[in-house]
Amino acid sequence: MSDCKFHIDFIKNRKIYFTVSIILVAFCILSSFIFGAKLDIQFKGGTLITYLYEGEIDLNTFQEDASAALEGIGVKATTGTDFNTGKNNVQLSMLSNSGLTADKQIVLTNTLEEKYAANNLELVESTDVSPSAGKEFFSKCLVAAVFAAIVLIIYIAVRFKNIGGWLAGVCAVAALLHDIIVVYGTFIVFGMEIDANFMAVILTIFGYSINSTIVIYDRIRENKKLYKNKCSLGELTSLSINQSMTRSINTTVTTVSAMIVISVVAVIYGVNSIISFAFPMTMGLISGAYSSTCIAGPLWVWLEEKKSGKGGKKKAAPEKSVEA
Amino acid sequence: MQKRLNTDVLYDIGKGMVIKVKRVKKPVFFVVFLLIAAFAASVLFGISSYYGDIETVYVKGVDDIRFGIDIKGGVDVTFTPPEGFDATDEQLDSAKEVIVQRMINLNITDYEAYIDYSNDRIIVRFPWKEGEAEFDPEAAVKELGETAQLTFREGIELDSMNKPTGVTAENIILEGKDVAEAYAAYDQSANAGSQWLVALNLTDEGAKKFAEATEKLYNEGGVISIWMDDTCISYPRVSAVITDGKATISGNFDAESSKKLADQINSGALPFKLVTASFSTISPSLGMGALEAMVVAGIIAFACIAVFMIAVYRLPGFIAVIALIGQVAGTLAFVSGYFGFNASGILTIPGIAGIILAVGMGVDANVITAERIKEELNNGKTLDGALISGYQRALSAIMDGNITMILVAVILMGAFGTPDSIFAKALHFVFFMFGPSTAGTIYSFGFTLLTGTILNLFFGVLCSRLMTMSLSGFKAFRNPKLYGGAKK
Repeated sequence: MSDCKFHIDFIKNRKIYFTVSIILVAFCILSSFIFGAKLDIQFKGGTLITYLYEGEIDLNTFQEDASAALEGIGVKATTGTDFNTGKNNVQLSMLSNSGLTADKQIVLTNTLEEKYAANNLELVESTDVSPSAGKEFFSKCLVAAVFAAIVLIIYIAVRFKNIGGWLAGVCAVAALLHDIIVVYGTFIVFGMEIDANFMAVILTIFGYSINSTIVIYDRIRENKKLYKNKCSLGELTSLSINQSMTRSINTTVTTVSAMIVISVVAVIYGVNSIISFAFPMTMGLISGAYSSTCIAGPLWVWLEEKKSGKGGKKKAAPEKSVEA
Repeated sequence: MQKRLNTDVLYDIGKGMVIKVKRVKKPVFFVVFLLIAAFAASVLFGISSYYGDIETVYVKGVDDIRFGIDIKGGVDVTFTPPEGFDATDEQLDSAKEVIVQRMINLNITDYEAYIDYSNDRIIVRFPWKEGEAEFDPEAAVKELGETAQLTFREGIELDSMNKPTGVTAENIILEGKDVAEAYAAYDQSANAGSQWLVALNLTDEGAKKFAEATEKLYNEGGVISIWMDDTCISYPRVSAVITDGKATISGNFDAESSKKLADQINSGALPFKLVTASFSTISPSLGMGALEAMVVAGIIAFACIAVFMIAVYRLPGFIAVIALIGQVAGTLAFVSGYFGFNASGILTIPGIAGIILAVGMGVDANVITAERIKEELNNGKTLDGALISGYQRALSAIMDGNITMILVAVILMGAFGTPDSIFAKALHFVFFMFGPSTAGTIYSFGFTLLTGTILNLFFGVLCSRLMTMSLSGFKAFRNPKLYGGAKK
């Protein structure tokens, strides 16, 4: 025991961390049912067209006119303001099963431009994705994520053989899942659409969270060699987390402050696509720092203790601890 | 202050093992620093010379970066044959050839087009045309999907717009429906030696018309011009009277050009019209605003990181900032095609996210190392010992973290890359049930993350180690306090 001195006993406090995380994850999943996920048309298919306009537009008549131009296809219109140019825009969304062909888009734009000549309509953006293409993109993302998780577990299992390997890999992925759910929850709670930005954030957090966990595992791996059997597994882990603490804090401070800068600049410039990228990223980074410190290690120790059937303070090293 | 030994350092790495570490010479810092500075400057501005008004670009700079359509604005469209029509691979090849030809006619040269054979889709992406405010993307896309008008015409008389005129405009010999098929062939029996040519099989009606025309033109020594819409794609001289409907076109063909002409001719005989399965446009003004915001945010964020690193880690922090500049410049160099061999790098907004993550990894690598050096100093090690063991011990964590990053990046590039990229081929066993990518933006993320991470290993690990080691040789930099240790 004398060899292992540390400030915060992460293993002793694990019940608190686990409870906090379970509540957090449950909250995110619950809010997904309460608020509902807003899937971007990139995933669910449909059409989205944005026009800039001047003066005033009556939303209801605009919606009816658009629908009439498309021979009765259901159209939903919303208005907004572009911070960048200060111009007003109107967005039409359609949930079409067959996609809106270029032909129909031309008819729509021409009809509306004619009717609203005084408003100087200007097409800014249009997206049209058929439902099958959207579904395929979504499932491809899912397969890529699952495959990446498997590859990472294998990599950790190989590289961290001396501290249990597989279990450590699974715990790292569990911490990662925790962070992904937090990012997802951020999108849901703040009513942001699940779109390409969501994928970019998830992917970034994927890398960031695994990296943070690996830095701590690396320390455990090193300490295990250093202390051999002088400390219990729990003590070793707590010691390692404490030693990595400054690094975790400083890296998180730099990356999070960079993200906050980006969020602020995006708000000033009014670029929504960057806000919905930088803000969830900030949440993900904080969650990643927390989960790799408070969840991955303690969870791993807990599972190792369970596996070897002994509770509480157990001498380090399950199977192949004693080195020749 | 500690004295520096002038011999190599013997260093105890524990377990009774001692390794000899080579000393890094004092000037190394300046060499590495100047190289990074020169590299960053050349990436920023490119290297070019002016001869009169003609600019010759030797090395591409940041201005030459090709931005994705989410930044620059542009069109992303997927064409497919009408529902229920199962197109053959040859028909898809021909259809793509039509689209490419039309884009060239519309003066769109910066396009990407590829075919998804398994799902009968042709994916086309092109940026907004430069300096053209009134570009009508919907009309352009509609035009791209139209069936091409293939004609064989008498002679080759052109007006000032290179459109057919005179007898060429009046006298149409064959149309698309008269051609049964065209294919590239390799002829080894020819007297002139073996050569590539394009073989044509005509329908019965086509053969009849062709026989009449060739008889007339052969005697006159005339040519037949072949047109796709208003573009002449070939004008062979008539060298025989062809009555059986089997003709060949010879010339300076190779395997590629003969296939291209055959595809073009076949496209005129396509039995279907292409429809758009998905279609997106984004205006350049919207995207450019995002780019400007990203650049401003990037510069401020980098400045914040630099101040933080130098304030907290002093000398290693200062070195880290130099290494980070090198890493960012390196990533931009890969994207701009600085090295010449990867002209396909396109920067999108998720691509910028990839750069940010890689820079984050670079900061992390330097933080881990600096923390380790501080720790070793506080454990009572000498400066040299602390530096060596600090770098030594930080390495495994940095390597493992960065290798996992590389694995993720490669998986993304495989999943969302174009079908002919090596990563896509290597990971085909995972993603076989999906067609080629429809989301180029995520590929861009993988690309910048991969290059950024590899560059981090070079700049953040190797270069920063060389620079720190060499600076620590100067008397002025021997104070452990500069490295976060307590003053002795």
